[in-house]
Amino acid sequence: MSEVAVEAAAARGGVMWSTIRRQPSATIGATVLVVIAVAAILAPWIAPYGVHTQVGPVFGQPSWSHPLGLDDGGIDMVTLLMWGARISLVVGFAATLVSMAIGGSVGVLAGYFGGRTDTVLMRITDYFIVIPDVPLMIVVAAIWGPSLFHIVIVIGILLWTGTARVLRAQVKSVRERVYVKRARALGAGHTRIILRHVLPQVAPLLIANTVLTVAVAIFDETALSFLGLGDPSRTSLGKVIENAFQRAAISSGAWWAIVPPGALVALIILACSLVGGALEDSLNPRLRVAHLSARTFRLRPLVGRGDAL
Amino acid sequence: MTPLLQVEDLHVWFDLAGGGELHAVQGVGFTLEPGERLGLVGESGCGKTTTALAMMGLLPSSASAAGRILLDGKDVLAGGEATMRPHRWVDVAIVFQGAMNALNPVRTVGAQIEEALELHGVARGAAARTRVGELLESVGIPAQRAGRFPHELSGGMRQRAAIAMALSCEPKVLIADEPTTALDVMVQAQILELLDALCRDFGLALVLVTHDLPVVAQLCDKGVVMYAGRVAERAPVDDLYHRPRHPYTRLLFAATPDLDDLEQPVASIPGAPPRLDRPLAGCPFRPRCDRAFDRCETETPALTAWPDGSEAACHLDAAVPA
Amino acid sequence: MRGADYVIKRVGFAIVTVFVAVTINFALFRLAPGSAITDLSRVPHATPELRLALKKQFGLDKSKGEQYVIYLGQLARGNLGVSFANEQPVWSNLRTALVNTLPMVFLGTIFSIVIGTLTGVIAAWRRGTPVEAATVTTALGFYSMPTHWLGLMLVIIFAGVLPTGGMTNEFLLNPSFWTHVKDLASHIALPSLTLGLVLYGEYTLIVRSAMLETLGEDYILTARAKGLRPWRIVRQHALRNAMLPIVTLIALSLGYIVAGAILIETVFSWPGIGRAVYEAVLQRDYPMLQGAFLLLTISVVFFNLVADLLYFKLDPRITE
Repeated sequence: MSEVAVEAAAARGGVMWSTIRRQPSATIGATVLVVIAVAAILAPWIAPYGVHTQVGPVFGQPSWSHPLGLDDGGIDMVTLLMWGARISLVVGFAATLVSMAIGGSVGVLAGYFGGRTDTVLMRITDYFIVIPDVPLMIVVAAIWGPSLFHIVIVIGILLWTGTARVLRAQVKSVRERVYVKRARALGAGHTRIILRHVLPQVAPLLIANTVLTVAVAIFDETALSFLGLGDPSRTSLGKVIENAFQRAAISSGAWWAIVPPGALVALIILACSLVGGALEDSLNPRLRVAHLSARTFRLRPLVGRGDAL
Repeated sequence: MTPLLQVEDLHVWFDLAGGGELHAVQGVGFTLEPGERLGLVGESGCGKTTTALAMMGLLPSSASAAGRILLDGKDVLAGGEATMRPHRWVDVAIVFQGAMNALNPVRTVGAQIEEALELHGVARGAAARTRVGELLESVGIPAQRAGRFPHELSGGMRQRAAIAMALSCEPKVLIADEPTTALDVMVQAQILELLDALCRDFGLALVLVTHDLPVVAQLCDKGVVMYAGRVAERAPVDDLYHRPRHPYTRLLFAATPDLDDLEQPVASIPGAPPRLDRPLAGCPFRPRCDRAFDRCETETPALTAWPDGSEAACHLDAAVPA
Repeated sequence: MRGADYVIKRVGFAIVTVFVAVTINFALFRLAPGSAITDLSRVPHATPELRLALKKQFGLDKSKGEQYVIYLGQLARGNLGVSFANEQPVWSNLRTALVNTLPMVFLGTIFSIVIGTLTGVIAAWRRGTPVEAATVTTALGFYSMPTHWLGLMLVIIFAGVLPTGGMTNEFLLNPSFWTHVKDLASHIALPSLTLGLVLYGEYTLIVRSAMLETLGEDYILTARAKGLRPWRIVRQHALRNAMLPIVTLIALSLGYIVAGAILIETVFSWPGIGRAVYEAVLQRDYPMLQGAFLLLTISVVFFNLVADLLYFKLDPRITE
């Protein structure tokens, strides 16, 4: 019986890899993410210069030794981007982890227990969905004071609503499947059933959702940093943009200090959206035959009429 | 004399998502005279609905078609969408499966019928609304229900409204694609009776697409039995019923429950129809046929005429005993 | 009357949501450790008179429960407190800002809905063609860009062509009516365009998938069978049904619009609510921050309610 569950989960894990391999958009997205992540992780070893080292003039122009020029402190932009991506990704993933823990628990509990638990949890979710999260993040971050840890917690506790809803629906349907019922009939406890039978089933959807949430978390971190609520001691990509904006990179004509960090954030978010979207589509296919589109059916001459009959 | 509608050597292919194609309809042909009723019968997936859609040019963009569809002697398939559209609803109308939400949920039933009337210049404004009332009355719906939305009507009522809409431009041919699926038995009988009466009153020619051979026997003049995208047998209903030439026809009759004797177990046909995404060798029905012999494995039977006018695609010489 | 229950339910939900927001607001500012308002020593610009006035007005010397009741009472009277920064009532500051924000956000949103719907419909209609791929990729690209960064990119591109900051040219003295309007229009162009572009990407994706879903519905086949021309089917049958999910999803993107407004007003120094939030953060002007958060939440709740009622109007199937 537990073999059944494990097998099904493995098959669904297969769906994920095959999506990433077969869907061109997912392949591109995953490749971009891996390249950026590797560069970010290896930043301390492979970054060409020190992240606090002034290597040239303020807003030094792009050159062979500094392909993306220098920032307002004369720091090499390529180095800054690698370190910035590092912090942004850490914030993105850590906040998503918090959000998944909350959203996942709410969704699984509501879907699994149903009834009053479901009603109460979903009602709370409904209120949280309506309350605009960025202003609330600003308020909380402003009161708590700027630190990386605060940002992670703030983003995490405000992003969970979508996850909770998606998971609840999925858990509801999983719950009805035979082996969960049988596991219950055999006297397994709720915790065991949830961990051994329900979670493996909803894991792929949770992962698709995680990837999409990372994109939102990175966006939010960039926004908070821009409003001066970022951690002053850590250079995230959002911080790099804010610095360039505050130090008038634009009026100084130093486009290289402000275009690349934003483009990199956009690239990360785009890649996450591509991968997450493709995963969601293949787990939950909604495409059907369109009865109407710009193209119509085609006509074909009958060749080899003889063998057709 | 040219028949009203003539389908000749119709083929339909569908592109498959993972490459390759599915040959859904493989050389189907039949004719329809004015006022005549034809039943298109077969299990699901045999190509009967695809044939019906092809007759109105309603195939999706993943499809390609070949062959001829002659309406009053003129090939309407030849120009694709462009030559098909002028005939839709004016000459040929269709009623879809009862299970489908064939009516737009956010518009009233009356508005949807009126739309057809105005589009084809049958009536306009107040005259159109009066006509909508008459049409609804003719299918047994009180005229004042024209202002209702589809979800406010029962399944049977929705199907009646769909029939009223199909009749709005007084077509010559009505295609009914499984019109009673998903309705309960009482309502099924009423809808079939209604179709019967309307065809008589309006002098409509009917193409009834169904998996239910006895219904065809009851309602139609002739039947076309389809299997694996091909015509297995084509004959007047009397011959189909009393002297089925193809083993598939006989097994289809056996597979339907006898309403007079529900105690008797229903003999379903064992096995499943062949996949149509690759070429077939021999007779497509052979794996499920109780009378197959060696010739069936190598040679695909062609549709051959019997002296009494029925035609079957089967290598058996004698008529299959009923 | 059809769906009176539905309307009452939705209005009730909106009221409760506002109440929840008010309570969160209270809790955040008063109960949290090191809470900003109780700790008046953290207020940089407060004169002793102001502190005394605040203390009295909000009963800061009383228990938390009593404070909550007083807070609700003051709120009911429209008293959001006094800004630490300019010592004006918060509400009068916010009212001026709101008047400035609305046209900018309105223009941008209209732009994005129009362009997003158009490109979304085209993408669905041209499914599986390079047109769809190009439309979707462009939309995803704009959707992925950080809002403020896109604003800055437009500043780089349009610097010298359009004004990149403020709402009016302060060197225009006693301008005629039309000069003033032209001046305003040129200032509003870039902020609105930024918001429009960021939202358009999201709306294109929403409209495309809603349209694809609808084009697969059976009644589209019926409409074709009736002999309707394709574009008429799109307009009269598909779009009307696709509007339903679109309305819901646009309502859900309201929070995104608010976030966009804050970032954009910061980039372009647009004197609206967003700019007020930014300045309140910089100066730790907590009453302003609290008031702005409440106002933004109430606007989002209100427009959500509008969307709910619109949905109700569009879909005859809703009865309760």
